Amino acid sequence: MIITWLSGLVRRRSGRLLAAALGISLAVALVAALGSFLTASKSTMTDRAVRSVAVGWQVQVQPGAKPASVLHTVRSAPGTRTALPVGFAHSTGFHARTGGSTQSTGPGVVLGLPPGYRSAFPGEIRQLTGSASGVLIAQQTAANLHVAPGDTITIGRPGGGPAHVKVAGVVDLPQADSLFQKVGAPPQSQPTAPPDNVILLPAAQFTRATAPIKAADPAAVTTQIHVARDARLPADPAAAYTAVTGAAHNTEARTAGGGLVGDNLGAALDSARQDALYAQILFLFLGVPGAVLAALLTATVAGAGADRRRREQALLRTRGLGFRQVVGLAVTESAAVGVVGGLLGIGIAAGVGRAAFGTASFGSTGASAAGWFALALLLGLVIAAAAVLVPAVRDLRQGTVAEARRVVGRAGTPRWMKFYPDLILLAVSYFVFRASSSNNYSLVLAPEGVPTISVSYWAFLGPALLWLGSALLLWRLVTLALAHGRRPLARLVRPLTGAMAGTTAASLSRQRRPLARAVVLLALALSFAVSTAAFNSTYRQQAEVDARLTNGADVTVTQSPGSRTGPSAANPLAAIPGVRHVEPLQHRFAYVGADLQDLYGVRPSTVTSATSLQNAYFSGGSAKSLMSKLATRPDSLLVSEETVKDFQLAPGDTLKLRLQDAHTKSFHTVPFHYAGVVKEFPTAPRDSFFVANAGYIAKTTGSDAVGTFLVDTGGGNQKAVAARLRHQLGTSAKVTDITQTRSQVGSSLTSVDLSGLTRIELAFAVLLAAGAGGIVLALGLAERRRTFAIATVLGATRRQLRGLVFSEAATLTAAGLAGGALIGWALTQMLVKVLTGVFDPPPEAVAVPWPYLALTLAAALAAIVGAALSGVRRSARPAVEELREL
Amino acid sequence: MKAPDTGLLVDTLIDCRDAARTYGRGENAVVAVHGATFQVRTGDRIAIMGPSGSGKSTLLHLMAGLERPTSGKIGWPALGRPATAHDIGVVFQSPSLIPALDVVENAALPLVLSGTAEPEARRRALSALDAVGVADLADKLPEELSGGQAQRVAVARVLALRPKVVLADEPTGQLDRATGRHVMDVLLDTAAELGAALVVTTHDPTVGERLTERWPMHEGRLATTAPAPAASTPRAAPRARPNAAQGETS
Amino acid sequence: MTTTSTAAARADGATALDARELYRFFRTGEEETLALRGVSLHVQRGETVAVVGPSGSGKSTLLACLAGLDEPAGGYVHVGGERISHRPEAQRARLRARRIGVLLQSGNLIAHLDVRENIRIAQAAAGRRDVSDIAALLDGVGLSGRAHALPHELAGGELARAGLAVALANDPDVLLADEPTGELDGRTEQRVLGLLGSRADAGRGVLVVTHNTEVVSFADRVLVLRDGRIQP
Repeated sequence: MIITWLSGLVRRRSGRLLAAALGISLAVALVAALGSFLTASKSTMTDRAVRSVAVGWQVQVQPGAKPASVLHTVRSAPGTRTALPVGFAHSTGFHARTGGSTQSTGPGVVLGLPPGYRSAFPGEIRQLTGSASGVLIAQQTAANLHVAPGDTITIGRPGGGPAHVKVAGVVDLPQADSLFQKVGAPPQSQPTAPPDNVILLPAAQFTRATAPIKAADPAAVTTQIHVARDARLPADPAAAYTAVTGAAHNTEARTAGGGLVGDNLGAALDSARQDALYAQILFLFLGVPGAVLAALLTATVAGAGADRRRREQALLRTRGLGFRQVVGLAVTESAAVGVVGGLLGIGIAAGVGRAAFGTASFGSTGASAAGWFALALLLGLVIAAAAVLVPAVRDLRQGTVAEARRVVGRAGTPRWMKFYPDLILLAVSYFVFRASSSNNYSLVLAPEGVPTISVSYWAFLGPALLWLGSALLLWRLVTLALAHGRRPLARLVRPLTGAMAGTTAASLSRQRRPLARAVVLLALALSFAVSTAAFNSTYRQQAEVDARLTNGADVTVTQSPGSRTGPSAANPLAAIPGVRHVEPLQHRFAYVGADLQDLYGVRPSTVTSATSLQNAYFSGGSAKSLMSKLATRPDSLLVSEETVKDFQLAPGDTLKLRLQDAHTKSFHTVPFHYAGVVKEFPTAPRDSFFVANAGYIAKTTGSDAVGTFLVDTGGGNQKAVAARLRHQLGTSAKVTDITQTRSQVGSSLTSVDLSGLTRIELAFAVLLAAGAGGIVLALGLAERRRTFAIATVLGATRRQLRGLVFSEAATLTAAGLAGGALIGWALTQMLVKVLTGVFDPPPEAVAVPWPYLALTLAAALAAIVGAALSGVRRSARPAVEELREL
Repeated sequence: MKAPDTGLLVDTLIDCRDAARTYGRGENAVVAVHGATFQVRTGDRIAIMGPSGSGKSTLLHLMAGLERPTSGKIGWPALGRPATAHDIGVVFQSPSLIPALDVVENAALPLVLSGTAEPEARRRALSALDAVGVADLADKLPEELSGGQAQRVAVARVLALRPKVVLADEPTGQLDRATGRHVMDVLLDTAAELGAALVVTTHDPTVGERLTERWPMHEGRLATTAPAPAASTPRAAPRARPNAAQGETS
Repeated sequence: MTTTSTAAARADGATALDARELYRFFRTGEEETLALRGVSLHVQRGETVAVVGPSGSGKSTLLACLAGLDEPAGGYVHVGGERISHRPEAQRARLRARRIGVLLQSGNLIAHLDVRENIRIAQAAAGRRDVSDIAALLDGVGLSGRAHALPHELAGGELARAGLAVALANDPDVLLADEPTGELDGRTEQRVLGLLGSRADAGRGVLVVTHNTEVVSFADRVLVLRDGRIQP
């Protein structure tokens, strides 16, 4: 019986089955594609986090423990690739005599590096100048002491006389924060900044040089064991974090208190798992509405056959089929639709993956992709059951066949409208949004070092309820407008229908139920496209801002420390093809109190011609107003919020910085006026720094030396221009371009290839918008084919039919577009607010991708017009069978 | 065949010459109407009688211009243009009202389609509804009507158009006897009031009895009877079935 | 008209259908309409009974109650000696499948199945698998050549006969027909009535609800239903 039924359906109702299957396939494909993508992104995040760490673990040998035995234990721990002991000792200060003057620093740190350290941990030390082996000195120390390779430095030793070493090279310690961490201390008692003065000695020399210190105080010289790990980690950052911290604790236990593990790897994964959670949230936010929409579309398609299905079921029951048998038939139908749609969807997903990522599994492992695909397939079956089976069973629950056979009566007001769920939902949405976006809110809470992470899922409620509430409100409004606005409607459709306007309006008004449903579906599809696209392009915009902030400009030329290059060096650079503008940016250091901070000297009038300054970087004025303040009052100073707090500054206050004089090399006091707060600045570090007028700095320090040249290439061609600059400058300066930075910025979500997600999302949004417009209209027209056939035999011309059909299409389009744009706009605003944590820095304004929206609109319009035209064509010449039925 | 047109009192409304209609092609081709030749004139009251599947509906559709003959010719000499829906009113077997329009809008629809202004169309539709006795249903929707009421609205729709020919396809097929009789009354009165020709297809001899001429149709072949002059034909013809028909129906 | 309806006849299994004191009312808002007000009737095996009455007299409701499609508020319906009213829907369905054939005025066929498949579904409902019957059924209604036609490909008369074939697919004890000749011309009408008659001749009960006088004259017994009551 089931086979007979199904084969009949497949042979004679293939169109409708296929339409439902297509709707399901969209939902399935979306979930499968996004899920696989999510898994792939998570494993990318783990990879990046692991790669970002120069030294996996720093095992601090505890006082009293034997370094050699701890080293042995660590080396034999599973997952250890290399483990090398590093000596740490404190110096009372370094001194150097160059160019006739003597420079001294405060207390410093001396490190002892074993042979092979730099090749085992290549990320820890970056060579700037000089030799790679021998005595190395940190860049800032070199700057403080005015030393270069070949110069001699005196190391002050507590409990012994000074030691003299000859500098072989200058290096940078990119991960100084973790290198000089206080192992085992909680985050709040970590040093606020790494030591400024660092000398790295070869192990043998270190042992000799620190022997007197050790003799005086054995605890003053310590050993850390630096570990590179090669254990296989789970692809998910959260799981990888758990695995790594577990291994760290295990190792600590093995050393029996002899060593404390500073888990840099764990710390990196800790922040990665937070990003992974954000990625998951994005997936939920952006993927779920699409899947819901596809499911709604499916339900609409399936619902179009509801009357027929009800009649058939009644007939089957009349023939004596029991409840279970009729349900069996419905199950067959929904399973067929679900399986076909599901497989089709997985095919689409695999195809999309191949097109967007070159692999059907989106770059994730085969197993996790298969898992997602299976889940998506299951979802397809659930949607099919909900769209086909549930209504069938609902009809069947009517006690008797006679009751089930009765056709639903005249369209009144839908019952839900009486309870105002739309307004309630919107109100709740607003309050949830208000509550969740208040000051102390953070979407993702991942306390450092704690394995549990939490997402404030409450925050989802705001946008979700907004979506639902505004859809229902639109439904109500359209229904009301169609019910009571017959006259205005007639006026609106008059250009399309001519003399038939009143009749057309009456007919539209009576079809308000299906029409309102169609409008809501179209609006939801469009709002999905709008919010997704706007969110994605805002995200991209912020990623670009982030990259620009880090790199400074399209291409950035960073001079070696201590270089005396002046602004005139910009001229030869500006002559290089592809360069539009070169902006010099001074980079100095300044003391405020005992605190050393970066100081950037800008030319306020021209700085924005090479880089962009967003208002969000500053407070106390817009970017433009603060720059003009710097220009009109050259001694103005922009400081960090922290400094404002520390020094209790009020606008106009004088702030005295100590800057180094070019001739005397000594620091002398220069007065500035506090003019505003700067939070971010191109090339500046994340912590505290100053921004001042470059001319004023040059005047007061006697040097116009430029630290960085910001090169504008007009937004393109960065790689080629960077290559040309490198060619011209050789090794005298470092050249970076923004494309390089873009791929390096942090381990944050920005680094995840969101463009893949974007492409998937946007493609589906277009399909859904076109589907919602076209299919729904086509179904509506098909339902009324008889109406059009009657109108035709009553003498309607093709033109009049076109008027009828296009009035409906126009009503659908106008209301759907207006509703979709409004809902989309509101949703985007809320999404961007709720997902603030995703953006770094927070966006100044939502970016609207007009070309994409235009494309979506065009697709939806094309589908609607296509459906309308085919509707007209079909009804202008009714089939013989339709005439027969009259 | 009819006598040549005298040209004064009686117009030839439909002129059908050897018109045939075939569905499908090749082996599967079904001939619905074999070459039919006849004329319909002002004042005619014709019943096309035949069992289901005899091609009555197709013939009616040809007469209404809804379908085109596959061979032969059909013309509307007195109606100007060919296939004018506004000069030929058709009452279908099922009431065929548009569900989204109320009764008066349905009745006014053909007028609106022919370009009559909506208020005027509405006025005429209301008076037509009144004439067939369903004016009180003007605001109802088709789904709220009984079969007989809906069929009367369909008749009113034709009446409002004031056509020169009224074609009715099994107008009583789905109605019980009493309601069917009433619908036939309305049709005959309407045709009389309009001075229009009335052609009804039916399988029901009691319906056929109420018309002047009964043309039997069987398996797509139409037999026309020799007409009596239209003016002198009594309204209620004696029960005299054409020979061909008698053999078929009993 | 015969009135051989005695208790004795019922007891010896000669009764195909027996309904006693059926009540059914509908509620629309505040109003309550009594569609059936104590209808009693029975159909003997080998007998054709016609129920006539004006529209709105409760004919369709009566038929639905007799077929177990609707549940009477009061009274009982027995089919072939088994009670079909006041039982769970599953049991009613089983009885319908085994003992009752229903011929509706229209819409007897599933649109996406051809004639043969429609019959097969009805047989499957009754738990029959013997496909050979289909040919005999189709032959019986004169549709041997149309087994693979879809409902919309059939002419009016053919459609009615195909519906009859489906209604008889389970070889029912009693055939309930609602206006079986409503849209048919005289010749097809005669043919359908002939088929109904042969059903009764084969020892089954036939009950026809109609306003058609031809049908009335062909029935063994005529009951007049008016305002929900059988007229004396």
